[in-house]
Amino acid sequence: MRITVNGTTHELDVPASRTLAELLRTDLDLTGTKESCAVGVCGACTVLVAGRIVASCITLAAQAADANIVTVEGLASEDRLHPLQQSFIDHGGFQCGICTPGQLVAAKALLDQNSTPTEDDIREWMSGNLCRCTGYYQIVESIAAAAAAAVLGD
Amino acid sequence: MTSLEPIGVAGPRIDGVAKVTGEAKYAVDQSLSGMLFGRLLHSSRPHARIVRLDTSAAAAFPGVHAVITSADVGDHLYGRRIKDMPVLARDLVRYVGERIAAVAADSEEIARRAVDLIEVEYEDLPSVFSIDDALADSAPILHPDYGTYPGSHPLDAPSNCYFEHTINRGDIESAFAEADLVVENTFETARVHQAYLEPHASLVHLDRGRVHVWTNTKAPQAIRDVLAFTADISRDDIVLHRSTIGGDFGGKGTPLNLPICYFLARAAGQPVRMVADYIEEFGAGSPRHATLVHLKTGVMNDGTLVAHHVRFLVNSGAYAAYKPNGVIGGAPRAAGPYRVANSRIEARHVYTNTVPGGHMRSPGSPQAVFALESQLDEIARRLDIDPLRFRLHNLVEDGDDTAWGEQFEHVRLKETLESAAEAAGYDSPKAPFIGRGIAIGDHGAGGGIGNAEVVLHPGGSIVLGTAIFDQGTGTYTTLQQVVAGQFRVPTDRVSIEVWDTDGTDNDSGIGGSRGTRVNTTAAYEAAQDARRALIALVAERFDQPEDQIEFETDEVRIPGRDPIRWPDLLTEIEEPVTGRVHIEERSPARITGFVAQIAEVAAAPETGKVDVLRFTTAHDVGRVLNPVGHQGQINGGVVQGIGYSLMEELQVEDGRVTTLSFGDFKIPVATDLPPLQTVLVESEHGVGPYRIKGIGETPNTPVAAAIANAVCDAVGVRIFNLPITSEKVHHALHQREN
Amino acid sequence: MRDFAFHSPATLTEAFELLDQHGDDARLIAGGTAVVLLMKQALLQPDHLISLDRVDALRGMQLADGELHIGALTRHREVETSELVREHASLLAEVYGQVASVRIRNAATVGGGLAHADPAQDPPAALIALGARVRLDSRESTREVPVDELFRDYYEAAIEPGEILAEVIVPVPDPNSRSVYLKFLPRTQDDYATIAVAVNGTTEGGLCHSVRVALVAAGPTPVRATEVERHLVGQAITVDTIRSAAEAVADQVDPLDDFRGSATYKRDMAVVFTRRALAQVFEVDIS
Repeated sequence: MRITVNGTTHELDVPASRTLAELLRTDLDLTGTKESCAVGVCGACTVLVAGRIVASCITLAAQAADANIVTVEGLASEDRLHPLQQSFIDHGGFQCGICTPGQLVAAKALLDQNSTPTEDDIREWMSGNLCRCTGYYQIVESIAAAAAAAVLGD
Repeated sequence: MTSLEPIGVAGPRIDGVAKVTGEAKYAVDQSLSGMLFGRLLHSSRPHARIVRLDTSAAAAFPGVHAVITSADVGDHLYGRRIKDMPVLARDLVRYVGERIAAVAADSEEIARRAVDLIEVEYEDLPSVFSIDDALADSAPILHPDYGTYPGSHPLDAPSNCYFEHTINRGDIESAFAEADLVVENTFETARVHQAYLEPHASLVHLDRGRVHVWTNTKAPQAIRDVLAFTADISRDDIVLHRSTIGGDFGGKGTPLNLPICYFLARAAGQPVRMVADYIEEFGAGSPRHATLVHLKTGVMNDGTLVAHHVRFLVNSGAYAAYKPNGVIGGAPRAAGPYRVANSRIEARHVYTNTVPGGHMRSPGSPQAVFALESQLDEIARRLDIDPLRFRLHNLVEDGDDTAWGEQFEHVRLKETLESAAEAAGYDSPKAPFIGRGIAIGDHGAGGGIGNAEVVLHPGGSIVLGTAIFDQGTGTYTTLQQVVAGQFRVPTDRVSIEVWDTDGTDNDSGIGGSRGTRVNTTAAYEAAQDARRALIALVAERFDQPEDQIEFETDEVRIPGRDPIRWPDLLTEIEEPVTGRVHIEERSPARITGFVAQIAEVAAAPETGKVDVLRFTTAHDVGRVLNPVGHQGQINGGVVQGIGYSLMEELQVEDGRVTTLSFGDFKIPVATDLPPLQTVLVESEHGVGPYRIKGIGETPNTPVAAAIANAVCDAVGVRIFNLPITSEKVHHALHQREN
Repeated sequence: MRDFAFHSPATLTEAFELLDQHGDDARLIAGGTAVVLLMKQALLQPDHLISLDRVDALRGMQLADGELHIGALTRHREVETSELVREHASLLAEVYGQVASVRIRNAATVGGGLAHADPAQDPPAALIALGARVRLDSRESTREVPVDELFRDYYEAAIEPGEILAEVIVPVPDPNSRSVYLKFLPRTQDDYATIAVAVNGTTEGGLCHSVRVALVAAGPTPVRATEVERHLVGQAITVDTIRSAAEAVADQVDPLDDFRGSATYKRDMAVVFTRRALAQVFEVDIS
């Protein structure tokens, strides 16, 4: 199958039973995306497929064939972090960091479709991403700050 | 009092870039070529003899490299303090989930299918699941050989109660007789899981006599000890490599599957990785203990506490092995920071045929504080005294004895409670079905052993070497600040080098709120040691007395000479300067951190649903080294407390955990949260050179009581067991009507 | 999970052929949020998966003759955000938007969800309240089934072997009707409902002209509360008629004891939320 991840196209021969999360983590050695709950609830495995966030742990790789995938490894550019990544650093948006890749990808999807979310919008959208360390307050703050900075053209 | 030690400004998290880019490697991300995948067979019975165990079909399954049972794992029982747990069950299983056999295979799928081929025949034995049942005369004794376990205390007679401790002060019988009012209640709390989002994982590789281990532990030295012991190998042969840890909350100090992983790797002759799924984590992890707390309290009509009797019963589960001290603390927290002349605090730990408990953020405290703070609220209501005033009347002050005979210094409880009340608008009017509840708690900064080394390199880089594996609390950043402050350089001049376990022999690791007290002090002392060494070097080189030499940032000032830069000096002599320290902090801290919380809830009478409208948390802190990190700990702790209060429960039926996924074991999400207001009562008093107080384990402990008290304030019913579900409130309201 | 053959037909005809060829060894997959999960848990182990993802005939939403036609492959998120749906049947958009998380809604499909027949999922409540039906196509024939007759038991829809759920047809509700969906989530916002009720109704001259009441998380299948409807249709809208109509729901539901509540509690809450939903739809103050 053919799959494009973070701009690079790969031709891979994998069994049909391979999930997208497994393909990313083992076949492509992109371990940024995590598999945690394994039932599609926690959001740690969130990636973008054709611009939409999905749970890669319950998506078959075959279902993502020929699609454009974006993972946490694809957020930063050559020389700088994505504003969301920087904002998470500045505002305490992570502690242990295990849920962070999924949070960042989900947050990016939110800002892609709504560049001026209210705090309620952010909470609502991010309610599918579990975090056990931060209590969410600083995650919401990080996203809000990134959105505000973008509006100001920082 | 001397001026406070200088401290670098908190920079961004030292591990920040790696975590936000996905580059950080966690134990679940580690792999080696040729690696096999290990999976376990767990007991499906709560208490049974294994009469037949046949692994031949599994061993013959294509792609399977090794199958091991108790015969293959040596004959040690292991445990952090009380060694009562076999690596793999021998002829007996004592809980549903106990590990019986393990398979290493070419893929997870093959390993799973091979496990299904293992045949087990059980002969059921009578089982007990509750504390009361385990203490009954007719109860089966789960550990008849308890007295033979290393680390155990001798029992007078065989019992499932393997630990009993009583602290007596004064004469509670007389005091109860004289009290105007005696209130007696029983509180019950449920097991909950730490719910870190990175499950336990181990990768073991035996290579030319060395055992290489990658596992997510924040107590690498202790884990190394356990592995050495169970495997009968030398500690020196084991190297624990560092991985980023994906959350811990007390749950990753236990070795869990590591010894099994080692034996699988040895049997298979190839590296083996075991990653627990959440069925295993929830069903056979090391959760926070379920407890029964009986409180009997005597009080005078003016609100003075005169007698308090605590019976703190811990459902240990089938083994004590996971608990670092064999037992958990908490019983004194059920008496709390109150003045009461006559008290008895009894703690008992009881074996049952359920999943063995372990450590979770402030072990024993949330259970005890839920009971105590609910009880005090109840008493205040019965006396028709406002709960806030009632507490203020009875709080300890400097020099007062607590119920367990300890004395605190620089107590700022009153200020903390009063500022919480003010910030929460405690006295402002409330609409119907809205309630406010108070709860307070305390937690000292833990002791332990810490090691650190500060190396000044030619050219000027400063490296702090540390043995601790940060589990996410930002300790590294704090240590970086400490060292930077000592050398008066910007924080980013200091880098951290994390030693694998070859770096030091004995270190307690992170936990027990040690991070602040022990490790900060260790970093401070190591930096001081490096400063002394630098001054000594300069003194000798320039033949000047040490007390005449000073340095400021990179400049060393020597009398009668131009200042020199130490980075240049070290380059010239081609030698680094090293400061090293090993500290052991054993004494209980007399300076403790208090927390006062106020929950404001709406309780709907028709459904029993409880909504937390807002939450105020006030902390008596010393000095805050890293404001963003400090607030992060508070936020995370409060939200864990909210989960514990309202939704988290590992449900157990006939000894078997039935909540086996995040779909059923619910923790709070971003839309579940009230606005949170934090009040910091700062002071000059704290522990160590920075006068700090631990924060990690205080924010979660009083939350449940604050919410329970608020519910009572809102609709007049009290829930005595956690979690406080809408159904329980609904039921209580209906009971009251009838 | 166990390995299998993955097929990706481009037309319905090809899909029918594959179904025919592999029979019981095959399983259809659309978004996969249910199927892949079940396969990971080894509860489903088909030798063949037939993905409908490339069958464009199953996509699209359009309005025709006063009815909304929603293709089976339409994702939950598409229904949630569709201007067409929001304008003509806003209850549907609202309810599809309540399912799980955005992540799930981006993948789960209308057809897949109904075929999976999870009795706690939200959409059937709205579909039943709006009188929707599904079209089931097989190689030879086609038939339509009202959504309230689509479910046989837990996770069992009345779809015969060889049939594919092709589209959902929703009559556009009377512009004068009001609808509401109440989802009781006492524990956490990220959960299945303890109980949930959808109501659509119209009044005429102070009488209840029409009403449809549907509940999910209420038993082995979604429930159309016909007794509640019977108590109300043609009756004057008063606090009393609403209260007594709501009481009738207690015998219509058959909830399970589970982590979200005991059966008794759920039954009690069914009455409470039916009452509240009726009160909202018919604008009666029952406090």
